[in-house]
Amino acid sequence: MDEFQEILQDFLVESFELIEQLDQDLVELESRPDDLDLLNRIFRVAHTIKGASSFLNFDVLTHLTHHMENLLNMARHGDLVIDANVMDVILESIDLMKALLVRIRDSGEDSGLEVNPCVARLDAVANGTALGETVPSATPAAAPVPEPVAAVEAEADYSGMSEEEVEAEIERLIALRQAEDAAKRAAHGGQTVTAVQDEEPDYSGMSEEEVEAEIERLIAVRQAEDAAKRSQKGHEPEAPKAEPAAPAPVAATPPAAPKSEPAAPVRAAPAPKKVEPKDDGENRGGSAVEQTIRVDVKRLDHLMNLIGELVLGKNRLIKINDDVEERYEGEAFLEELNQVVSIVSLVTTDLQIAVMKTRMLPIGKVFNKFPRMIRDLSRELNKKIELEITGEETELDKSIVEEIGDPLVHIIRNSCDHGIETPDIRLASGKEEGGTIQLKAYHEGNHIVIQIIDDGKGLDADMLKSKSIEKGIITEKEADLMSEKEAFGLIFRPGFSTAAQVTSVSGRGVGMDVVKTNIEKLNGMIDIDSEVGKGTSMKLKIPLTLAIIQALLVGVQEEYYAIPLASVLETVRISKDEIYTVESRSVMRLRDEVLSLVHIGDIFEVERVFDNSEHAYVVVLGLAESKIGLIVDSLVGQEEIVIKSLGEYLKGIEGIAGATIRGDGGVTFIVDVAALMQMAKSVKSTVGQESAEAKNRGGAKNSPTDYCVMIVDDSKTDRTIMRKALEPMGITLIEANDGVEALNILKQGDHNFDGMLVDIEMPRMDGYTLAAEIKKYNKYKNLALIAVTSRTGKADRMRGVESGMVEYITKPYSPEYLMNVVKRNIKFNEGL
Amino acid sequence: MSEKLQQIINKQNKTLSGDDVKIDEVIQLVGFIVGDEEFSVPILSIQEIIKPISWTRVPQTPEYILGVFNLRGSVIPLIDLRSRFGLETMKHTEETRFIVMKNGDDVAGFVIDRLTEAIRLPKKDVGPAPDTIAEEESMIDGVGKQADRIITILKVGKLLERNF
Repeated sequence: MDEFQEILQDFLVESFELIEQLDQDLVELESRPDDLDLLNRIFRVAHTIKGASSFLNFDVLTHLTHHMENLLNMARHGDLVIDANVMDVILESIDLMKALLVRIRDSGEDSGLEVNPCVARLDAVANGTALGETVPSATPAAAPVPEPVAAVEAEADYSGMSEEEVEAEIERLIALRQAEDAAKRAAHGGQTVTAVQDEEPDYSGMSEEEVEAEIERLIAVRQAEDAAKRSQKGHEPEAPKAEPAAPAPVAATPPAAPKSEPAAPVRAAPAPKKVEPKDDGENRGGSAVEQTIRVDVKRLDHLMNLIGELVLGKNRLIKINDDVEERYEGEAFLEELNQVVSIVSLVTTDLQIAVMKTRMLPIGKVFNKFPRMIRDLSRELNKKIELEITGEETELDKSIVEEIGDPLVHIIRNSCDHGIETPDIRLASGKEEGGTIQLKAYHEGNHIVIQIIDDGKGLDADMLKSKSIEKGIITEKEADLMSEKEAFGLIFRPGFSTAAQVTSVSGRGVGMDVVKTNIEKLNGMIDIDSEVGKGTSMKLKIPLTLAIIQALLVGVQEEYYAIPLASVLETVRISKDEIYTVESRSVMRLRDEVLSLVHIGDIFEVERVFDNSEHAYVVVLGLAESKIGLIVDSLVGQEEIVIKSLGEYLKGIEGIAGATIRGDGGVTFIVDVAALMQMAKSVKSTVGQESAEAKNRGGAKNSPTDYCVMIVDDSKTDRTIMRKALEPMGITLIEANDGVEALNILKQGDHNFDGMLVDIEMPRMDGYTLAAEIKKYNKYKNLALIAVTSRTGKADRMRGVESGMVEYITKPYSPEYLMNVVKRNIKFNEGL
Repeated sequence: MSEKLQQIINKQNKTLSGDDVKIDEVIQLVGFIVGDEEFSVPILSIQEIIKPISWTRVPQTPEYILGVFNLRGSVIPLIDLRSRFGLETMKHTEETRFIVMKNGDDVAGFVIDRLTEAIRLPKKDVGPAPDTIAEEESMIDGVGKQADRIITILKVGKLLERNF
């Protein structure tokens, strides 16, 4: 399909959409002629169609809409009162406009319809001349066709129907029409509709009162009809709006001479339109319209939400399956459960992809407006620029397609204005006279990459720095510390502009800021590469979808946070020695770059108890053109998460983009990377500093009772034996019946436990599980877990070690042995 | 005849509207204890009452916001009424409950020490909040008087209003 056809199609889609709304608006306008909003809306329709049709060289349509626009503009400004006369003409012109559009759709051109009489009337009304006088009463509509205007009214609704349905609808309308006719005949004393029209010239003979009365009567009829139509529309099931994919089956036979009666509303007399559903397929020689269904985006959003819930359920199922697998290892039913879980998870993933695909649009939709833009710009700037587009068929989410247009416009304008040089400069520097801008789109993993490459003069890092200093955007000191890439990033700062003067194209220092904001909103990244004299390449990397995202889960103490994977560049494990402090900010060297660091705990006010490991995990985050290293305690893994809003009460918390529900049913917050980068600038670094509390914990033991050990065993006898063995030490002893109870006591935090004696065989929660649970929490990292059990197998011991036990005591044991083991593990100070 | 009919209709109307007035006059409340005092909220503003479940801390919020919890797929804020009222926080006990209240679209869970009972209170027994509390700022809607005690009725709208 060539470019023109595609634009034409968009134009038709848009126009029919507008007109559909227009019908409703006009009906409303009749009852509320003073409603400025309505008028504005109608005016905009005329304006939009005029603009587009002039671009597409539909002169007749442009001519007509231009005059309509004039008239509506007057009404809009209060220079013209919309009365029935004016309304007639407006309605007539709109019907004509519809006929023209249908014709364009069917034949690809707008000739063959006479618009001049209508235009003349529009002008006449606009000039305030009484209608009846200037325009000679034309011949009434040639041959009234037995379809009521209602057909035109409900036109758009047909599109969603099958042929049978259309047939049925026609029959229904004919029946309706006949009923109406009967009613009219009754009203007119037996006159047929044709008679109504024949009778029209008679209006001139009526007295003013009579005319008024007649108008009122007609309006009443009209309103009754409208009401009937409206109720009909209401009865129809909410068929998805499918126009114009299957175009409304109305082939226009244009009115030989549009009606000119002053009083009778146009639509009271049948417009000469035919319903020919059979022609539907063959008649569309002009522009084939794609076979698609237009669905309200709200429905897709709802569907997406439901899928989101399903994904959460799936995550949860997988988690439970893992737990069950661990506990009932080797049992036969596990196989079956595994299969079901994997099928559910597979189908859920497929379903999610399928729904995501329904929301996908080719990026060509955005790209297509650029060739013209480049043509205009190159003429304006006296440059020779060529645009090469590749990958316009690459698809991405609708919401992203909508957001990406503006940034691209700004980047391309920028490339034209600042990037590509004028022909003489290009020739002088040994380049071809004409510059080239390449616009590429392609997939890269879960991202789409849009690349804009020009072969212009490139970015000069030093020049950018000095300009920024001049404008007060950065200080000289900052400039010295900046790498080349960071300097390129300066073009995104608000207020930055390299243009010596403000032109119509650029120079206000707003555009690139818009680019950055929009791309950040989409969780995208910008990467600039440039070489002086050779050109600039700008890479926009944008996630494919927004509602369900891949996230990296990180832990800090016992809290977890989800970081959108789209913003994660890499993760590195470093030793604490590699963290340097420069001007009270922590930094590290990552290959040839210096990366500033911030601890996630400082951002989210996490109380850090222990921080004595020698290593740190750094998540390198990238957003738009900036980078930062986020230090976390642990990396949990990658998970598919569904973004949930925090609601009114908690919205707008800095650094948090939303929440998600994890497989275990808990809530985890999603990090807002853009905000986090902002916050990182003001956060004081505490990296590498051990928290005071952590020191206290280890040191403040002044008497034996400060040591605290928990005994976890389901047998009262065993507990008593252990208590008796340890009592001589004088330490605090707490007993728990099983794992669950032990965990609860621990979490309550009444005691700072130094050690725990754990039986393995216990109801509710066994010793291994308890140990694994406890080790999930960073603050219990130094809690000594000692297994006391009668299980003596090697495998049991191994499991004990795996789950985090430090000692393994087999029953029976001597009290002295137990005491010694405990003393050693809680670092009991004999001197107290 | 028609006069008689009119009289009957009038009479019926009277009893009908009279009944309405009676229903109107009683408000139904759910009472609960926070600290040493008994508070109550209208029963219709309560979505549900649940036993404590785990929650996630929210950074950068006042201390009385304990965090958020997952109520069948919705993320709902959890507010500790003890610290909201400036009382010392207490460990959750067997009797601790989360009352999930709603006002329009706003929903939040509130931690209370324990529930007391559902109360039916004639409207005439509800007095205004003490004058000493500024009208705008007050979380108190009124004070219900019963034979042996006084119950503070809270403004749910105010409780659910974000004030940080």
